[in-house]
Amino acid sequence: MAKTEVVKRDDNSTKVVGLPETGTVYIPDVDISENGESVRLVADMPGVDQQSVDVTVENNVLTIEGNACTPPPQGYEALGREYAVGKYRRTFTLSHAVDTEGIKAGVRQGVLEVTLPKREAVKTRKIAIGG
Amino acid sequence: MLELVTWPRNPWSIFDELESLQTDMSRMIAGQERDQAGDRGRAWRRPTYPLMNVWTSADGMVIDAELPGVDPKDVDIAVQGNELKLSGRVNATTAAEGETYHRRERPAGEFTRTLQLPFRANAGGVKANYKNGVLRVTVPRSEEEKPRKIAIEAA
Repeated sequence: MAKTEVVKRDDNSTKVVGLPETGTVYIPDVDISENGESVRLVADMPGVDQQSVDVTVENNVLTIEGNACTPPPQGYEALGREYAVGKYRRTFTLSHAVDTEGIKAGVRQGVLEVTLPKREAVKTRKIAIGG
Repeated sequence: MLELVTWPRNPWSIFDELESLQTDMSRMIAGQERDQAGDRGRAWRRPTYPLMNVWTSADGMVIDAELPGVDPKDVDIAVQGNELKLSGRVNATTAAEGETYHRRERPAGEFTRTLQLPFRANAGGVKANYKNGVLRVTVPRSEEEKPRKIAIEAA
């Protein structure tokens, strides 16, 4: 299995057919790494906390979603805006090597970390060499 | 004055526009701790970091900066006169033993950004709060510059 097959990017995933999306949807920047046991996905989602983030798996498609919830300061008026506070969404197609039951996720300081364990059958095993 | 810029996160469709958004106000200085595999996976480099939203009132200014996953100890806020300088570093996640990267898009390295305030700041009253990856800096206006209401004496 080639390493790149583990998680693939789908840039068009935010174009939802059907109901129009309200507000801005951002694709978060991600780091994806892998070791013998699991795949680790780290996504920058500033403004998101534990309650406003959703990680779902459906038909081997992993979706990370979040709502930035930084309220504007009271009594001030906007002067300049370089980013809009909106929604984050990105989807990834998982390989069958991922054990979808064991996926774990956590948010810390606007960074989402998802750990995707590999199925026992595909984990790296050290083979003892008989003398 | 900052321009109204809604930041598109899809790196490919707006790549040309990115160049024009560059300002001399900010830059990512070298020190990108990225390995070879990471450079291949990283789609693009942001010309402006961190992105900021700015609010103002008679009392002063509030600045929000998107700095996900930053250690607050690594961020310096310096206010002098009518200038606010935000600098620091974003640490790249490092690969543990036996771990390989397939994609590294998250920016890392050192950053400096300087904002011109439309007033003289009361440097002693500056407050900063870091929550959910967003840094909020509140810069009060110096007392002597605040607008004052002049009472009119009746003759």
